[in-house]
Amino acid sequence: MGAGEFTGAAGANLVQDAPPRAAAPGKKWIKVVKVQNGLDTEVWEEVDDVAGPTWGPREALRLVNHDLPRVDGPDKVTGRAVYTHDVRLPGMAFAQVLRCPHPWAKIKKIDLEAAKQVPGVYGAVVLESEEVKWIGRPIAAVAADTPEHAEDGVRAILVEYYVQRHAVTPELSLAAGAPKISGNRENVRVHETEGDVAAVDAAFAQCAAVVEGEWRIPVQHHACLETHGVVVDYRGGDSATVYASTQGTFTIPGDAARKLGLNGAQVTAVVEHMGGGFGAKFGLGLEGDAACRLSKELGRPVHMLFDRATEFLAAGNRAGGVHYLKAGATKEGELFAFVGRVMRHGGVGQGSNQKQPYIYRPKHSFVEVKSVLTNTDSSRAMRAPGHPQMSFAMEGLLDDLSYAIGMDPLEFRVRNVPENRRATYERQLRQCAELIGWNKHPNRTAPDKSDAEVKVGIGFALATWGGGGGPECKVEVRIAADGSVEVLSGSQDLGTGTRTYLTAVVAEELGLEMSQVSAKIGRSTYGAANASGGSTTTASLAPAVKHAAWNARNAMFEHVSTLLGVPVANLRCTGGRIEDSTNPDSNWIAWKDACAALGTKGLSAQGEWQSHLAASGVGGAQAAKVQVDTLTGEIAVLHMVGVQDCGLVMNRMATRSQLNGGMIQALSYGLFEERVIDPDLGIVLNANLEDYKIAGCKEIGLVQSVLDDADTRGVIGMAEPAVVPGQSAIANAIMNACGARLREMPLTSDKLLMALRGMKRG
Amino acid sequence: MADEHPKAADANAPRPSFSRRSLFRGAGALAAGGAVADASRAAAAAAAPTAVRYVGMSEIELEINGAAQKVAVEPRTTLLNALRNHCTPPLTGAKLVCDRGSCGACTVLLDGQPVYSCMTLAIDAIGRKVTTVEGVAKGGELNEVQRAICEHDGSMCGFCTPGFVLSITACLERKPDASLDEIKHACAGNYCRCGTYPHLFDAALAAGRALRAKGGK
Repeated sequence: MGAGEFTGAAGANLVQDAPPRAAAPGKKWIKVVKVQNGLDTEVWEEVDDVAGPTWGPREALRLVNHDLPRVDGPDKVTGRAVYTHDVRLPGMAFAQVLRCPHPWAKIKKIDLEAAKQVPGVYGAVVLESEEVKWIGRPIAAVAADTPEHAEDGVRAILVEYYVQRHAVTPELSLAAGAPKISGNRENVRVHETEGDVAAVDAAFAQCAAVVEGEWRIPVQHHACLETHGVVVDYRGGDSATVYASTQGTFTIPGDAARKLGLNGAQVTAVVEHMGGGFGAKFGLGLEGDAACRLSKELGRPVHMLFDRATEFLAAGNRAGGVHYLKAGATKEGELFAFVGRVMRHGGVGQGSNQKQPYIYRPKHSFVEVKSVLTNTDSSRAMRAPGHPQMSFAMEGLLDDLSYAIGMDPLEFRVRNVPENRRATYERQLRQCAELIGWNKHPNRTAPDKSDAEVKVGIGFALATWGGGGGPECKVEVRIAADGSVEVLSGSQDLGTGTRTYLTAVVAEELGLEMSQVSAKIGRSTYGAANASGGSTTTASLAPAVKHAAWNARNAMFEHVSTLLGVPVANLRCTGGRIEDSTNPDSNWIAWKDACAALGTKGLSAQGEWQSHLAASGVGGAQAAKVQVDTLTGEIAVLHMVGVQDCGLVMNRMATRSQLNGGMIQALSYGLFEERVIDPDLGIVLNANLEDYKIAGCKEIGLVQSVLDDADTRGVIGMAEPAVVPGQSAIANAIMNACGARLREMPLTSDKLLMALRGMKRG
Repeated sequence: MADEHPKAADANAPRPSFSRRSLFRGAGALAAGGAVADASRAAAAAAAPTAVRYVGMSEIELEINGAAQKVAVEPRTTLLNALRNHCTPPLTGAKLVCDRGSCGACTVLLDGQPVYSCMTLAIDAIGRKVTTVEGVAKGGELNEVQRAICEHDGSMCGFCTPGFVLSITACLERKPDASLDEIKHACAGNYCRCGTYPHLFDAALAAGRALRAKGGK
């Protein structure tokens, strides 16, 4: 099946049954899933109808869709891999920032003179001289010969503030007489209302059961291990190099050039390796701004990477929110009436979209989405923006409703997912159920009400994501006379294994071993590539790599055709040689010999995105088995299962790593993570990695990742759906284990004990 | 806490009193770097010269990956910053992530024991053998742990990987037949934000098997 055949998953709202018009000559229509306002919608797209490379039958693939060790693994395990943090250049200065200690302040005066006199300090710049509106905003930066001296310099900066009254929490911001954070505009904004309240109220009257609740979602931090930062190397003249820890190589040169007074082509961005982004690392940022200014002023390379506290305070977060949901179902299990009122907490920003209902489609619904501003850093995109929040509330509501009508929550889900993806979700849910032991579980239609002290429960949840790619990448494959092959793309690798699949796709096409191909990435002088957001990198890049490799192969065939006297159509690449497929045993040429005959000019081929090699729209189901101790409130996740459709997988092992990682990040979100702010002092109390807890080795149970091979589409991308449902499945498992519905993350022992106590009293 | 690492008890350092890091790290395995360093220095005091005072930038000699190296540091300079910013060539394998002993990305071995180099002063490493991730592969050949991490996809972004290589290497040196729980315990002070843990566990168990096969056990 090719692209556009919508068999795998996803696709909520099909815009039209047929294409809007007949295809133009040389074009064809395909159905693709686009995420619009966080919800996936099928739309028709007109693409070139050209014969090009195909991935071929999966069983014929030799490298792609197999377990491939990363080609840069040895660099990562030996410390040879150079991250932006690790760049060391002659004469390089280390920079540190001064953060404003007040959530809201006008700056009366900043005096850098004393700082500039500190031994070792090379220079200092002011980043903000007027007003600060969120906790922790950097206002000045100091560069010195060592990080320690830069810290000394930061301590010597003198600032006088006019401290303003602040509203650092939604409660403060919503209170009567709260200061207006954005000029004269209200702190609360209404983004969307949809549906007819009266009609929904009437629909509730027809329901066999109605449930409601308010789900409270804390602000989560990306907590990338490599903090945000750059090394700007500009020593005057007309060229500069910017090493950046970024998700978008090509998001750097333009902005850096403007800061340095150069043009984009004069700035080279380098992203050799990067230590995690998860949505927070696009563009130059405050850190890049500071480094460009210091480097330009000092005429030396400047290393400006945030320290951990600044990373927490000034480098983004996942928006929190409050979701009030109410739903009713018929006794047959139809999700009939729904009300969702969402308040997003996005700091000085609007927060990511969190429009309910997530995935499931009630017959009658009313939805309202608002946001409230606070004096905290704006939220940024974070792995599947908005989805984990929506999932946590919606999946909880769904389980409550299924128990209220005495129905197995798995069957209730199957019944209420969108029709066009029911087959996929049902297959995935049943596989999760099998692996997690649901079918033998005693409490499938009601939570365990027994008096046992230690109880085990199971919960489920679903995910959806658009993924897919676009015509964003240009890839080059070079073949040299010595037989070596290079594949070049400016794209970055966030840890997904970009180098490895570039190598594999090219080696596969040319009939070589992976060791004969080297991938060069992460440099803006190579072919353009999209920034890594929305799980679109692989679906954009892999088809372009395939196309470049196919073009390189065809060029080789033209060249070999005359050498062997065989028509191009009869040639094939296999086992390190090019052979006549009609007479492979006697008429062939070794790869090295064919390349030697190319001469010093070698061969170069380009590739671009091929729509038919990609697809879009993925689902995914996850289940969690949790043990709760009703006496101590201890919650232990024993087992998580994820079944994920991904289209054609590039590297099965790396994809399982992604799915494992998604589930573990969701577990961490569900059980541990929460930004804590003192509302009076206006300070974040846990801007460090011991008080802001993330999951470690001992908190995770068995994690089982299954790639759904029933999905036979092209390349899609699956990193985001992997992180969506885990915390919801865990909350549902706690409910299943003991009847306690925890509606506020993180799901901690104290909350469980309080809920159990409330149930006893009730 | 039960001591699951027999050799940790053999260290000439007395068991340090309860500390934040021993809480995170678990029993003495990676016992508080600074405390161990001080205690063992005290134990070896007979051989050591009387107290040396370091003021301002001072040149000291460290033994790093088997070679002596002179580095200019301040008394406050951490071992991590000394390695990353003052060695020639810079040893940037150990990463600065939390800078306060929470995450393990800066793990190095001090006389074979894993420590947080962000919580160890460079001057406290004088006279001790420092092993960084750069010094683990002997003669360019990966050790069993490194090889297994590559084979089992035990790294994604890879920023935590050097720390895990050293924590697991030290664990398996003590106990090549370490169980999964013992491996988790040994790595309890190392964070991976990408969530690579399951594949790291697979790698550690495989490396243990490979080491036992090599050792003929």
